[in-house]
Amino acid sequence: MNTILQVNDLVTKFYTVDGVINAVNGVTFELREGETLAIVGESGSGKSVTMMSILGLIPTPPGKVENGEAIFTSFGSSHDLLQLTPAELRNVRGGQIGFVFQDPISTLNPIMTIGEQISETLTRHLRISGEEARERTVKLLAQVGIPDPELRYKNYPFQFSGGMRQRVVIAIAIACTPQIIIADEPTTALDVTVQAQIVELFRNLRESLNVAIIWITHDLGVVAGLADRVLVMYGGRIAETASVDDLYERPQHPYTMGLLGALPRMDESDSKRLVSIKGTPPDLLIPLRHCPFAWRCDYAFDRCWEEVPPQIEISSHHKVSCFYDLEKGEPRDG
Amino acid sequence: MADNNLILEIRDLRKYFPIVGGLLGRQVGLVRAVDGVSFSIRRGETLGLVGESGCGKSTTGRAILLLHQPTSGEVVFEGQDLTLLPTEELRKLRVKMQMIFQDPYASLNPRHSVQKIVGEPLMINGLMKPGSPELRARVAEMLQLVGLDPFYMRRFPHEFSGGQRQRIGIARALSINPSFIICDEPISALDVSIQAQVVNLLQDLQDQLGLTYLFIAHDLSMVKHISHRIAVMYLGKIMELTDRNELFNNPLHPYTQSLISAVPFPDPKLERKRRRFILKGDPPSPANPPRGCVFHTRCPLAVEECYTIEPEFHEIQPDHYIACHLADEKGSSKIPEKTVLAAELA
Repeated sequence: MNTILQVNDLVTKFYTVDGVINAVNGVTFELREGETLAIVGESGSGKSVTMMSILGLIPTPPGKVENGEAIFTSFGSSHDLLQLTPAELRNVRGGQIGFVFQDPISTLNPIMTIGEQISETLTRHLRISGEEARERTVKLLAQVGIPDPELRYKNYPFQFSGGMRQRVVIAIAIACTPQIIIADEPTTALDVTVQAQIVELFRNLRESLNVAIIWITHDLGVVAGLADRVLVMYGGRIAETASVDDLYERPQHPYTMGLLGALPRMDESDSKRLVSIKGTPPDLLIPLRHCPFAWRCDYAFDRCWEEVPPQIEISSHHKVSCFYDLEKGEPRDG
Repeated sequence: MADNNLILEIRDLRKYFPIVGGLLGRQVGLVRAVDGVSFSIRRGETLGLVGESGCGKSTTGRAILLLHQPTSGEVVFEGQDLTLLPTEELRKLRVKMQMIFQDPYASLNPRHSVQKIVGEPLMINGLMKPGSPELRARVAEMLQLVGLDPFYMRRFPHEFSGGQRQRIGIARALSINPSFIICDEPISALDVSIQAQVVNLLQDLQDQLGLTYLFIAHDLSMVKHISHRIAVMYLGKIMELTDRNELFNNPLHPYTQSLISAVPFPDPKLERKRRRFILKGDPPSPANPPRGCVFHTRCPLAVEECYTIEPEFHEIQPDHYIACHLADEKGSSKIPEKTVLAAELA
């Protein structure tokens, strides 16, 4: 599969009155055509800032993308998204890259009908007539599972429930047949039964549109049933990246292992004591000089406090940023 | 009460909130937040109360402590009906019941030091004098119990992380030695790695101090982990109540089945094999609940009587309570095989 998005050594900082927040500290990853990549991390891990940096959505000031490139390949031509002008980026956002955010009520305009909002995206990017946009909007509403799309076209966001609003946001994201959909915690604000509906919708869309999805979340449960590959972030760095099966079966980073142990297993009848990760998430005001997880890691040794671990390739689809070999139970060579 | 083993018994608890509207602020409707809930909690056990947002689970918790005066029903705590007690008597009993809140940022007064926050229940109930050495010793003991350094006593809430704040909230609840604690979504505002810390702490404290919990949450997997028995709530009513493994292995209510089916397992191989039972639509408004069974608007199996007759909440098997017309007396449900559950995967 071809790489559609290649992000290299991305660094984003926020200059605040309290000091410099090192939100993203050198993130490198790739996204392939049609795959679903999950980015998992806790609050402050840099997962959302990474995506906002790529899309030019970081408020500047205080934020600044200081380094890196994001090569987006579409229809045979490649561009560095970080070098595009704001006008060029606006064509990409909502066009070739669609997105879905956590909170559908603040994503939608409360004083525009949802039909107008979807049509607006279509006419803005595809240069089609209002009549044609309207027809396609009704089809899109049906495609994301909104009953009576003709009638619902004229409704305002407040007339929709949370799950239905998120469906509208998804309709906007897929309106211009994008190559990538970035979904930032799209189900966090929803109830479990509604979350299951939205996850199912994404599964179906992935099949029918052959679109690559970046799914940003803190929930390792949803990821297991949806993603092809997973990227675990911690302290603005990538801790581990692997295929979904590898990550859950053979986690190689102590943080990933801790996260998996912290989840209660509903499918087991005796509940074991949960594994908790001691301590609290890192203070991003402190510049990164060593492994960001060293404070909380049971396996940390001298080297972890001296240098930032690079990504080490374990197999063709498994990389980990850790000096300690969990399987052998000793520090890695080299 | 005959059964000494019960610490709390709730009978037909109702809490309606008025909807006021119009120029004159007249009552135009009722939100039936809690609509006839009955259950009991045994000494030393954890009862989990799960449901989606707006189902009335938090209101139930608050109505038990009379933080919301119940519209009707009985709340029998250690043999006494709280709703009938005069204020003085109630205050004495309340010492034994405490609450841990969801949001560790909103539930601690930012202007009070940790010492004041944790010691306040003792001072309010006149058990210890402000500034006394006993009070300080007790606060230090409580902080140690929840895994915080007593040295932090003079600090203020903003100096702590979310998980540490939740520990302060737990220390406050424990300071007056309660026997029963209502945990209202105590971990949903916390990060995954911190959730496990707090859940482990709650379980350790239960073992050490013999506490009884009512654990309110929307996360079924966490509720199953911590509870002995689980009650599933929907639109102000309890749909099913039973032992946690029984609920998971033999869920009889279609709503419980769909809830279990909606919870993702952190295991990709298992997830791929699962057949899903996904509900359509959203929960109706408690201001205008459906007739008959409140779940019939989303139930894929609803039959005619579900639209008109409200199912009674009854014991279908020993210790397995349900409100559904479709579950029969033998305990097997009339629900078709194809609505398969996680348990059948193994």
